Amino acid sequence: MEGDTWGISGPDFLGVFIFMAVVALAVAIAARQAVLRGGPSDGFATLDAQRAAYLNGGPQLAIYASLGFLRQAGAIGAGPGRMLVTTGPLPAGATPLDRAIHLAAARKISARGLRHVSGVERALATLRQSLEDAGLAATPAMRSRARLAGVLPLAAVEALGIVRIVAGVANGKPVGFLILATLAVSVALVVMLVVRVPLASAAGRRAIARLRRDNAHLAPSQSPAYATYGAAAAAMGVAVFGSAALFAADPAFAEEAELQRNVAASGASSGGGSGDGGSSSSCGGSSCGGGGGCGGGCGG
Amino acid sequence: MTEEYGVGIGWRPEIAGFVADLPGLRFVEVVAESVHDHGPVPEGLAALRARGVAVIPHGVKLSLGGAEPVDPARVAHLATVAAKLDAPLVSEHIAFVRAGGVEAGHLLPLPRTREAVDAVVANVARTAAELPVPIALEPIAAVFDWPDDELTEAAFLTAILERTGALLLLDIANVYANARNRGTDPLELLDALPLERIAYCHVAGGAEAAGVYHDTHTDPVPPPVLELVSALSARRRPPALLLERDGRYPPAEQLRAELDAIAAASGYPAVT
Repeated sequence: MEGDTWGISGPDFLGVFIFMAVVALAVAIAARQAVLRGGPSDGFATLDAQRAAYLNGGPQLAIYASLGFLRQAGAIGAGPGRMLVTTGPLPAGATPLDRAIHLAAARKISARGLRHVSGVERALATLRQSLEDAGLAATPAMRSRARLAGVLPLAAVEALGIVRIVAGVANGKPVGFLILATLAVSVALVVMLVVRVPLASAAGRRAIARLRRDNAHLAPSQSPAYATYGAAAAAMGVAVFGSAALFAADPAFAEEAELQRNVAASGASSGGGSGDGGSSSSCGGSSCGGGGGCGGGCGG
Repeated sequence: MTEEYGVGIGWRPEIAGFVADLPGLRFVEVVAESVHDHGPVPEGLAALRARGVAVIPHGVKLSLGGAEPVDPARVAHLATVAAKLDAPLVSEHIAFVRAGGVEAGHLLPLPRTREAVDAVVANVARTAAELPVPIALEPIAAVFDWPDDELTEAAFLTAILERTGALLLLDIANVYANARNRGTDPLELLDALPLERIAYCHVAGGAEAAGVYHDTHTDPVPPPVLELVSALSARRRPPALLLERDGRYPPAEQLRAELDAIAAASGYPAVT
C-alpha cells in the first residue's frame, strides 16, 4: 500500500479542491463585475435613444432605433425586394446615424446591409466612442480584462485538478470523484468563456434601467400610439424595449424589411427587471364595450 | 361630483405617456374592466393618482339595462376598482350587453318603455347598494328607435334618474349623433334633461358613413359637437367634460388642440 499522493489523503484533497473551485468562481464573477463597474454613475444627464440602443443591444439595435425614428417620421419604407427606400425627406432632429441610413436608403439597401455602409459604420463608431468616454460602455481593453478575470482563477484550479488526477492514477489511487469535480470546474470555465462580457458597464445598465422605467408607457405591451408620441419616442421605444417595439409599432414594415425580431428583448440587459408595467391589455381597453369590436361606432 | 374638474381625457394604455404630460389635468376616466381588482393599479394611473388627478372607473359590461339582475361579481369588481382608485364616482351605461347569457360584445339600446325603466332602476339599485361612491348613468347613442317606445328620450332618462337618485353622464357626441340621425333638434333634448344632475360629459369624435353619423371615438371632434358643448355650458355648465378617444390616435398636438377646443367651448381653463 503506497502513501497518500503528495502526502494529502484523497478525501482531504477533494474537500480543499471543491473549496478552491468555489472561491475561484466567486473571484471570477466579482472580478468580471469589478472591471465593468467603470466610470461615474451618471455619465450622461440624458442618454439619447441611439446611444441607449447601442448600449442595450449593440450596433444592430442602434440601427433599428434609427429605422424606428425614420419610419415613424415617414422618411423611409420597405420597397420591392425587401429593400429600404426613402419615402420622405430627412426629418428634423435627425442624427448623423439617421442621415447615413437615410442616404443609404435613397440608394436602396437591405436593412441587413446597413451595418456595412461606411457612413453608418462611422456614425456607429462615434456613438460607441462617446459611450466609452462616458464610462457607460466597456472599452475593448476592459472587456478582455473582464474575460481574463473570469477565466484565470478557474483555469488554475482546473490545472491543479488535472495534475492531481494524473498523479493519483500514477499512484494507483481512486480518482473518480476528483474527475467529477474537475469536470464541474471545466463546465464553469466554459460558461465563463461563452457568456459574453456585456457591453454596458454597471453605470450603463443603470442608465438603461432608468430609461426603461421613465418610458414604461412605450413598452410593447401597452401598444403605444406612436402617431401621438412621435418619431423620437419610436426610437426610444426600440432602444429600451428592443426590436420587439418596432414589430409592435409597424409590423408590416418590420416584416417587409426583414428585421430581426429578437435584438435585445426588454429584459435583456440584466439591470432592474423588465420595465413593462401596466397590466391592462390594449384589447378591451376602449370604452366601446370591448369584445365585438368598435367598427360601426361606439355609442358609449 | 359637486367639485368642478374641468376638462379631462379618457386614459388608455396607448396614450398613457401623453396623458401623463398634461400639466393642468385634474381628472381622467378609465375603462373599469381594464383594471384588475386584485393586483396593482396600472403604473400610469397610479402616477396620476399620486399627483391628485381623480380617476373615474367607467364600466362597459355591467348590462344595467338587461332584463336579468346585474352579475354580482361584476358589481363587486366595479366597487373594488372604485375603492382602489379612490374614485369620486363611477359610471356605467343605460344599455344591455348580454341577454340570456349571450354576449353582444356591444352596448345595445333599450326600448324606452316603463318596463325597461323598472328593469334599469332595479339594477341600478342593486349596483348602488354595493358601491362606495355615487354612480353616473350614461345614455347611449342609437342609430335606431325601438317600435314600442312609450317615452321620449328625456322622459325615459328623467324617470330613471329620479327613481334611482343617480347622476347623469351625458355624452354630447351621442346627443349630436342621435339628433342628426333622427332629424331632431339636439337643443330640445338639452332643454328637457335635468342638467343639474350632470356629473360630467363625454365629448368624442365621429364620422359619417352612408348618410348615418357614427360616434366612432376614432375621428376628430366635429365643430357641431363643440357648438353643442357651448350651448350646454351656456344653459348650465357641467362640472367636468371628458374627451373620449379610443383609437387611430392622432399626433399629440392634435389631441392637445381638441382638449383646448373643449376648454374654449366650455369656458374651462386649458389643461395642456
